[in-house]
Amino acid sequence: MMNRTGTDIQIAICGSAGDGTIASGDILKRAAALMGFNVIAFDVYPPEIRGFGKCISRVRISSQQSYSLKQNSDVLISLNDTHAIPHVGEVRDFGAVIYDDNLIANVPEGGHISGHIHPAQIPYGFSIRQISEQATNSARSRNIVILGYLAELFDLPREHFRKIIRDKFATKPRAVTDDNIKAFNAGLLAGSGVFKLDDVVVQKVDAKGNGADAEMMTGNGAVARGFMEAGIQCYFGYPITPATSIMERLAVEMPPAGGKFLQTEDEISAIAAAIGAGYAGTRAATATSGPGLALMAEMLGLGVMAEVPVVVVVSQRGGPSTGLPTKTEQSDLNLAVFGGSGDAQRIVLAPTNVEGCYRCAGRAFEIAETYQTPVIVLIDLYLSNRYETVIPSAHKQFAAKPRVPLAPNGDGAFKRFELTENNISPRAIPGEEGLMHTVTGLEHNELGRPNDAIHMDMNTKRHEKLKPAVNFPGLTVSKRFGDEGKVKVGILGWGSTFGEILETMYEAQAEGISCAAMKVVMLSPLPVESIAAFFADCDEILVPEVNYEGQFANIVCGALGKPVSRLNQTNGAPMAVADILAEVRRLSGKKPKTGQSDTFTEAAL
Amino acid sequence: MNEHVEPVYLEEKLEEIRADGHQGYRSKSLPTWCPGCGYYSMAEGLTFALRRLEIAYKDVVVVSGIGCASRFPFFFKTYGFHTLHGRVLPVATGVKIANDALTVVAVGGDGDAFAIGGGHIPHAARRNIDMTYLVFDNGIYGLTKGQTSPTSAVGFKTSSTPYENSDVPLNPLMMLLSYGASWVGQAYAGHQHDLADMITQAMSHKGFSFLRILSPCVTFDKTDNTYANLNLHVHDLPQDHDTSNLMAAMQAASQTDKPALGVYFKDDRPTLAQAMNATATRASGTG
Amino acid sequence: MASPIHHVIIGSGSAGFGAAKTLRAADQNCRVTMITMDSLPFYQRYALPQIFRGRQDWRELLEVPPAKYDELDIKLRRRTRVVEVDGSNQIISLAHQETVAYDRLLVCTGGRSYLPENLTSQVDLIHSFGSYEAAMQVFKDLPKGGSVIMIGGDMIGIDLALTLLDSGYKVTLIANQQTFWPHDLTAKQQKPLLKALEAKGMIVFSDSRPIGVSDKCTNSATRCVTLEDTTEVLGDVVLSFCGLSPAVEFMLGADVDIERGILVNPELRTSNETIWAAGDVCQIWHDTEKTYKFYHGWKNVRMMGELAARNMLGGHDIFDVNVEDQIGVEPDGQLKSTFWTH
Repeated sequence: MMNRTGTDIQIAICGSAGDGTIASGDILKRAAALMGFNVIAFDVYPPEIRGFGKCISRVRISSQQSYSLKQNSDVLISLNDTHAIPHVGEVRDFGAVIYDDNLIANVPEGGHISGHIHPAQIPYGFSIRQISEQATNSARSRNIVILGYLAELFDLPREHFRKIIRDKFATKPRAVTDDNIKAFNAGLLAGSGVFKLDDVVVQKVDAKGNGADAEMMTGNGAVARGFMEAGIQCYFGYPITPATSIMERLAVEMPPAGGKFLQTEDEISAIAAAIGAGYAGTRAATATSGPGLALMAEMLGLGVMAEVPVVVVVSQRGGPSTGLPTKTEQSDLNLAVFGGSGDAQRIVLAPTNVEGCYRCAGRAFEIAETYQTPVIVLIDLYLSNRYETVIPSAHKQFAAKPRVPLAPNGDGAFKRFELTENNISPRAIPGEEGLMHTVTGLEHNELGRPNDAIHMDMNTKRHEKLKPAVNFPGLTVSKRFGDEGKVKVGILGWGSTFGEILETMYEAQAEGISCAAMKVVMLSPLPVESIAAFFADCDEILVPEVNYEGQFANIVCGALGKPVSRLNQTNGAPMAVADILAEVRRLSGKKPKTGQSDTFTEAAL
Repeated sequence: MNEHVEPVYLEEKLEEIRADGHQGYRSKSLPTWCPGCGYYSMAEGLTFALRRLEIAYKDVVVVSGIGCASRFPFFFKTYGFHTLHGRVLPVATGVKIANDALTVVAVGGDGDAFAIGGGHIPHAARRNIDMTYLVFDNGIYGLTKGQTSPTSAVGFKTSSTPYENSDVPLNPLMMLLSYGASWVGQAYAGHQHDLADMITQAMSHKGFSFLRILSPCVTFDKTDNTYANLNLHVHDLPQDHDTSNLMAAMQAASQTDKPALGVYFKDDRPTLAQAMNATATRASGTG
Repeated sequence: MASPIHHVIIGSGSAGFGAAKTLRAADQNCRVTMITMDSLPFYQRYALPQIFRGRQDWRELLEVPPAKYDELDIKLRRRTRVVEVDGSNQIISLAHQETVAYDRLLVCTGGRSYLPENLTSQVDLIHSFGSYEAAMQVFKDLPKGGSVIMIGGDMIGIDLALTLLDSGYKVTLIANQQTFWPHDLTAKQQKPLLKALEAKGMIVFSDSRPIGVSDKCTNSATRCVTLEDTTEVLGDVVLSFCGLSPAVEFMLGADVDIERGILVNPELRTSNETIWAAGDVCQIWHDTEKTYKFYHGWKNVRMMGELAARNMLGGHDIFDVNVEDQIGVEPDGQLKSTFWTH
């Protein structure tokens, strides 16, 4: 286990669709954020849209920055034993399992969760349903009763829960809020006499006073938030898991803010319209997943060729083809970086956490406008759907600067694609006087007229202009963590996996392994110099990725000409810290360690 | 009679045209179409319409796909976007949504429109985006040197249908009428003045206007859509054709052997921009 | 292949855990399930006074580490109350509406602390010491150096009292006939023993019966016990240690003979062929005395558990060794017992 000081607990709430599992987790995570804890949360929905599938909401509450969910939860709350029983094993030794011990219907032998709790885990049974019914005349408030119980058991500030409950039901009739508060209070009462046997500790002093500033966001919510703060003017989208909620958020927020939002007939038209709107001088974007990106590849090439600023968010899921729509993966890197015809380099940013989603999305327009090219923000399902606390106020700096049109060019020979010193050409937009020109996906001369002879010069221009992007102000392009100087093992990572990489690095350090980690946020153009410096410091380099082919490792090896060790998994789940740690230990020459139970010493009675 | 004709010098002629101002909309790039191509009269028609409607060059964006017809934007001194094969409408949609003050003209051929781009037409039509879509329909792929297109006739021989085309051609007018286009018309490249007038009418319409322009491909089609054949078959819609009657429009559109020219259908309904403004009002809670 | 035989043990104390280990050692294939109302895995109740010697972490009180249950493949179901045993259909009903079928059942639920009848109405004011949680509550509610009023004072109680005295707390004992239970002593026999306790620093009342407990006390004390002779005994915590009464209610419909405890033959089998009982919950037929007898003390209890397990597997061992605890006063005036190690 990692030696973190202060509070660091993970609570998993498991139920069936319709039990209010996700709503319960939502209140918990928001309340914890309001208390001032760092929160990371991830909900798992059933693959079926409706029905009685399994829902799990996992919420990690920490006083220090955490980077991923924990492998083992400290607390499991069951709202449905059938679904929760397979997850009892994820509760750590001396953690808690909370469940209903007063059912109305008979269950077959083995059907109740109490029979599955390991002797090292602590059972907390109470009459969840009955208490809910007594409080609100309905079993539907079980999901709130458990929050009261939890607040009492782990001594979490009650007033924060009540505030979030009131906020959540603010738009509903008053009675709904009242019932939920009643259910919460009933849960508190149920928990009040309970002797606490687990060693799950919440230290309230860890809750910082920044609760009011911190907001809970998903990666997708953070993307939408970044877009809004950047003053997005046009959004075109087509529904696709797991990117849809970006579109849904913007559909709500853009119209009252004067933005233009349109659901298009497919992904091709989504990016085509975004390119049209980018060409017309607005901040325009779309978001999709891998299959949609595959359809967009040709249009991306047009954006590169016609030098049109546009922002494309890609949330990856399992592939190829329709693949695993509800499972996370990092296998669209090749497509994002290389997809399309010809030498079509574009800028690809891959944030590693929710705050990164917010910053990359917010900054993407400025980058696209600066380099007059498409910018892809590459995330994945794990990042799209997980919640983290973000303090947005510190970063309100994404707004566009007022556009100053160029002087009219009277002779009608505006050089839209002029070869300049920094390879960035003057740009005019429709409606601006005396700068009329035509842009095209054909290779063209400085005026934008079709021309094959100039191809080499123009290819050079389009690639060279992007090189300074690795030094773009206000953007973390790559960053090193962990031990300074020479280290035994360096872990190089990108995207959502970097959370698990950082957790691994801290655990490896705690075991005495000299270890460092580097995240690469800009995947194209690649910050080769900083990666090379990192490589020079590391005896061994490990590149863990949730894809089969080691797509990032391939890119890095190609760019640096050095071999790396790879760790590739495609299990439909984020990579486990334990798996990365095992590789780090192997590379460091350290013997594997046994499991958690060996910390227990037999009582000498 | 060997009457002496004064030679016409191109530069002098151009001077004369420039002085007139008519050609101000045209860029320095001269069209690259084959001599005799119907598209010349279309370029002329658009020039005429823009001048007639007194739209500033800077406020016009000509968007095109890929194909002979799609070369259009290069020949105009307006803003232009030569996009991808089949994608003229979605790009034009983005331009128009981004800046409603712009006059957006979408241009393409029959392959660009009805084959690869066919999926976009219904949506541009039903949304009633305020733009004009000019489809130059010559029933053949000219830029790739003569293959069959979605509007080629059954029995037509091309390099890709050496044993004759067997696919029934689409009926673009019928499609657009059923897609909910708010202005549907048909013109013929051989009737240059009428064509210019039809383009002007299409552009005057507030909403999505679709004008199909019948044109010969003088290089790759020597048998079907020739000036001679088209001249024989085209005729004007009856004087009493009711442009507000969708069924009458469909009836007329179904007469494919004798294509009628004119405005088939016209409907004044809210444009996409108006709908978006209404949405914004509702969203702001001020409606 | 027949499904493996399912042994269910209700109770997870010395007898239950001893039986489970014995079953597993003898049969690698059988299923062994233990059902207990406790929240914790097996720990020695007798070790609970250790809490006052700094061992508050329950993990330090456990008899075996939790992983031992995995190793022995024993399924331990905690916080689980048995409401009914259907002895003819061999089905156990649990309070949370689950049923468990068994092939052989061993009942070793022990006894629960007995409270004098005239005090039952004040049960909320009397602390319990029957579980780790209860003991920890005492630990929390008792201020450092505070004062405990002990009613009765059976051997577990005396053990706690001596520990408390050692650790700087004050103890007042209100002695009665259960004092030194399970030793059945007359008032005369008790006298030297009580004297030895007084020598240790304990305040002893032995002539008057407690008639009421209150939390409305005259001074800063949080509890006072009124005696028949109107004496008011003040303290912080009141505990009752008046011996154990067998916990058998759930067995009433199980088709087994019950007197005070579950009646078993010397092989520890009940009147039902598939049910055995062991420990403080059972009364064993004594062939010469022609009566069913209780045998207390953890050594007896553990022996019974192991013996019952052997017989559940087809053995015919007889319970015939009663290891009785000894108690007395040493020449130096110290109280000595084989029960504890003070």
